[in-house]
Amino acid sequence: MAYSLTWLAAVLKDAGLKVATVDGWENRGSGDVGEIRGVLCHHTAGPQQGNMPSLATILNGRPDLPGPLAQLGLGRDGTFYVIAAGRCNHAGAGNWRGTTKGNTHFIGIEAENTGKEDNFPWPAVQLDAYQRGVAAIFRHLKLEVDCCAGHREYALPSGRKTDPTLDMVAFRTGVSSFLADGLPAPVLIPAMEPEGPGGGPGRPTLRRNTTGEFVLYLQRILGVEQAGTFGPKTEAAVREFQRQHRMVPDGIVGPKTWAALDAQLSPAPVAAMGLG
Amino acid sequence: MLGSEILDVAIGVVFVFVIVSLICTAVREGLEGWLKTRATHLEQGIRHLLHDRDAQGLARHVFEHPLIFGLFPGRYDPQVKSGSWPMALTRGRNLPSYVPSRNFALALMDIAARGPDTDEVNSDSATEVISLEAVRANIRNLGNPAVQRVLLMAIDTAQGDFERAVSNVEAWYDSGMDRVSGWYKRSTQWILFAIGLFVAVALNVNTVAIADYLYQQKAAREALVAEAQSAAGDSNYLDKKYEDVRVNLQKLQLPIGWSNTTLISNGAGGTSQQSGWQWLEVLAGWLVTAFAATLGAPFWFDLLNKIMVIRSTVKPHEKSPEEGSEDRQIGKEQLPVPASTSTANKSPSAPVTEPVVATTQASASATAPRPKTVGLPDAIDGCDVDILNFTADEDLPAAEGGVA
Repeated sequence: MAYSLTWLAAVLKDAGLKVATVDGWENRGSGDVGEIRGVLCHHTAGPQQGNMPSLATILNGRPDLPGPLAQLGLGRDGTFYVIAAGRCNHAGAGNWRGTTKGNTHFIGIEAENTGKEDNFPWPAVQLDAYQRGVAAIFRHLKLEVDCCAGHREYALPSGRKTDPTLDMVAFRTGVSSFLADGLPAPVLIPAMEPEGPGGGPGRPTLRRNTTGEFVLYLQRILGVEQAGTFGPKTEAAVREFQRQHRMVPDGIVGPKTWAALDAQLSPAPVAAMGLG
Repeated sequence: MLGSEILDVAIGVVFVFVIVSLICTAVREGLEGWLKTRATHLEQGIRHLLHDRDAQGLARHVFEHPLIFGLFPGRYDPQVKSGSWPMALTRGRNLPSYVPSRNFALALMDIAARGPDTDEVNSDSATEVISLEAVRANIRNLGNPAVQRVLLMAIDTAQGDFERAVSNVEAWYDSGMDRVSGWYKRSTQWILFAIGLFVAVALNVNTVAIADYLYQQKAAREALVAEAQSAAGDSNYLDKKYEDVRVNLQKLQLPIGWSNTTLISNGAGGTSQQSGWQWLEVLAGWLVTAFAATLGAPFWFDLLNKIMVIRSTVKPHEKSPEEGSEDRQIGKEQLPVPASTSTANKSPSAPVTEPVVATTQASASATAPRPKTVGLPDAIDGCDVDILNFTADEDLPAAEGGVA
């Protein structure tokens, strides 16, 4: 039996956000949630490596703590990982505007961040997605921006929690500007390059589960197994490439990534590809 | 025809029993105050009622709930292990010997609604307002399936009326405590007998001798009956203090006490020499007194009233026997029952049977799939925990969309 928050994925997708659902999320949760009164913002305090290294822990919990530990995870590239549609153990004891049963009444968003100096300021793409995601949820639930709290603001006794390492007042201001409807939707990655290198037809944007010549070409450049299908390993390699080139490590090969790949290679194979 | 002497002798003997029983009750109370056995019985009874024999879960939470915690000094420290039922002389600790059923019911509802811990969060003005919905929604706070089920049944049969739900829980508690009081009564019965025998011997209250004496001494008999009559009319007679009662006993001029054994021999008209058979008679008299004492003052007072009704020229229905039973409720119980009073047993018994009938329905709805199970522990959170198993990028699920 699916739980109440099955609208989460669609609402976030409609807001133009990058969304990845974790298999079985509709039926996941320790019971169902109650009436949703807001969103609680967390950070994972996970390791620095990877896009969402805490995902498995949020999903399954720990031996001493039953999962799921949050409905949503937010990767460093701004991807919302939709983990559960039911109740999650994310809030604990606390109080925000009269709500003390946070696990029952708040949606938890765990954003991947070490919570330390090495991860501050937060990546712009992640922070932008965070605020847009909260705004999308609030628009769906018709809630006011004050219903968004940082975990450290909610948790009691005071000082029990330090997450998130964000200025929550500024965060809420950001959310309210997205709620105001005045700001443009995020610009999505185009399906194809405007034009290929040397003025030819643009190359398609490559992402998980795409196939074809260009995927083989990409796999050759990155030095991963040339299976012809953009699988998880290829995606991980793309992310690593993007990290090395200080780009958003979203694992999607769009115009920017193509350009970076081109710059790294000698012009010859590119020309060959352009012909092919 | 039944001579009025016989009736008067009976009245006199019963009156003596009333007084002796009162003395025994006082001794028993003194002993109880020192041993606190009743408190231990009550605690074990509550543990049993809450299906928490080791007092590590719900029973502990209930005893530590502020509504109950204030009823006893010090901390709650369960020592008697499960399975070892307290004996008649088990030394109790500083636990309450009486827990009002309403306190118990409210504490249980509060634990269900707000969780067992008394901390900043649960004492905050912002906690959930206690309502049947809140209790129902957070029922798993109790962490005790059996009690959860009882509470759910109490809530469901209350049909939205909070007070009715509370009284349902109270009725359940009372019925459990009735059993505790019966169990306490059984386990302490022999103590009462021992006290009765002790008092009978110490004060030399020999029933046989007294009856003999009263039968022969008309003046003494009439004086005693007059005294009994005034006592029977006094509904607060059973609340008398030990000193008053003892003075009363001495005032009766009966052949009791070791100093006036001569009174026995003179009054009975026998010799002062006591043979072996006479000693046996004395022993039998003491035993009868002791057994009578175990029945308790309320019983004898009741009986005294009934005999008075028979004796009096007033027709029985004008002084209805039920009045005697009323006295029994007003007066001190022979065995002060822990928690619930016997008066409370009758009226709530109807709500008790009602939920029992409803059990099948409640269990049927409980087994039905219920997706909306809200109210698991809200005190836990997994935020900021150490990540044990990293999720590598290649194990991440596929995403849709993507921002340029």
